[in-house]
Amino acid sequence: MLEVNNINVYYGPIHAIKDISFEVKTGETVALIGANGAGKSTVLKTMSGLLRSKTGSIVFDGKDIKKAEAHKIVRSGLAQVPEGRRIFLQMTVLENLEMGAYTQKAVSAEELENIFTLFPRLKERRKQIAGTLSGGEQQMLAMGRALMSKPKLLMLDEPSMGLAPLFVEQIFEIIKSLNRAGTTILLVEQNAGKALEIADRAYVLETGEITLSGTGKELSQSDEVRKAYLGG
Amino acid sequence: MSVFSTIVSQIFNGLQSGSVYALVALGYSMVYGIIMLLNFAHGDIIMVGAYIVWVLMSLLTLPPVIGTVAAVVGCTLLGIIIEKVAYAPLRKSPRLSLLITAIGVSFFLENIAQLVMGAGSKPMPTIIKGTNIEIGDAHISFVAIVTIIVSVITMLLLTLLVQKTKMGKAMRAVSEDMDSAKLMGININRTISFTFAVGSALAGIAAVLYSCAYPQASPTMGSMLGLKAFVAAVLGGIGSIPGAMIGGFAIGLLEAFVSAAGLSVWKDGVVFTILIIVLIVKPTGIMGRTMSEKV
Repeated sequence: MLEVNNINVYYGPIHAIKDISFEVKTGETVALIGANGAGKSTVLKTMSGLLRSKTGSIVFDGKDIKKAEAHKIVRSGLAQVPEGRRIFLQMTVLENLEMGAYTQKAVSAEELENIFTLFPRLKERRKQIAGTLSGGEQQMLAMGRALMSKPKLLMLDEPSMGLAPLFVEQIFEIIKSLNRAGTTILLVEQNAGKALEIADRAYVLETGEITLSGTGKELSQSDEVRKAYLGG
Repeated sequence: MSVFSTIVSQIFNGLQSGSVYALVALGYSMVYGIIMLLNFAHGDIIMVGAYIVWVLMSLLTLPPVIGTVAAVVGCTLLGIIIEKVAYAPLRKSPRLSLLITAIGVSFFLENIAQLVMGAGSKPMPTIIKGTNIEIGDAHISFVAIVTIIVSVITMLLLTLLVQKTKMGKAMRAVSEDMDSAKLMGININRTISFTFAVGSALAGIAAVLYSCAYPQASPTMGSMLGLKAFVAAVLGGIGSIPGAMIGGFAIGLLEAFVSAAGLSVWKDGVVFTILIIVLIVKPTGIMGRTMSEKV
């Protein structure tokens, strides 16, 4: 579904992503793990068209989207839940969800109901200003908002960041159930243990390069990964 | 005249000029909200609107309706063109470059107007005619009443547009978080263009209403009006739509009462003192809020 070949991304003189390639097949959950500053978010931003790769190709659903504008990429079925949620804090919960459905002709009542079933909290608070939600609720809103565009591939950037353990469990359960329901997932996480648990395959990113890859199980048993990311 | 009638007529004077300030301040505030630019060329759009009315009505003796519609359409197009030609290429540049460009555009428009229309002022034709109203022994001009009603209706429509329509919601989303809005599939360039179009259309309406109150068109007429509307936008909280309305009316009323107190020479000074006080005491203005991010 997503095939990334030899991309290089720069922030001014800084070479942030060094010639990486990876792929996500239809129906998979793929995790991208690595330390803070390894370039994980940069990869997702490049997929979404917020940043540009100087080389290579990004093929999504059979089309090269490397040079496509960000708003067109969403239309082709690639949605992102950005790091730090980035919900519209001054708009209501419902308006945030409506913005998620911006690419659709109209807000589908059915999709909205699906999301309210997935996140009952959002239904209770749909008229509330999003800035008044708790961190976990904001994460749910960010996910619900991305789902409103009916993505084929959902990319999640650090969905567990800053959340209480109970919420983290819940978020990962929801990601699993989304995948079961047919959404392909690309997950970026610092919480490597959790990510490898639910991932079919995973890549390890270190200072802009992919150093390891394998199935979730293989990586969670590899010595290198255990030492560096799973605390021994 | 009794004290009561003085107060009543000054309230209407204040609301009349306040309506115009509010319409102009809305354009400032909306543009600032979306691309963080103080569009100092905004006042000059009004000047162009006034000349459009003058050319059509005085030169070509066309009816007021045509003059009015042409001014609004002309200002809207001008706003879109200015954004596309002068500001869009600077989307990724530092904000200071944008600000300097805006000042440049302002000088450009003023000088082009001087070149084409001459430096002297042109007397504006009568656009709105009607009988004045008497409340007690206070005279309320018909123009004042039309101005206030038109402004209030315009502001209600704008509020509906921003709160309820898909494009309005997209404008709010872009002004809050541009990258996040891109991830929703919102076309940023189109949304910014639309914002300039709406702000400039309001300036076109303001141009017609202002020309009714001060029937003269001159190349620099927009600069003082623009600056006062800017003060109104800052007072209300720049970026806030209800703030711009409140700020506009507040500045208009303040000016009217300063003049009524016999200090009309000090009118402009008082307005700019307000700017200084707001910037020192409450830089976010009346409706502006500082949002703290939740983790």
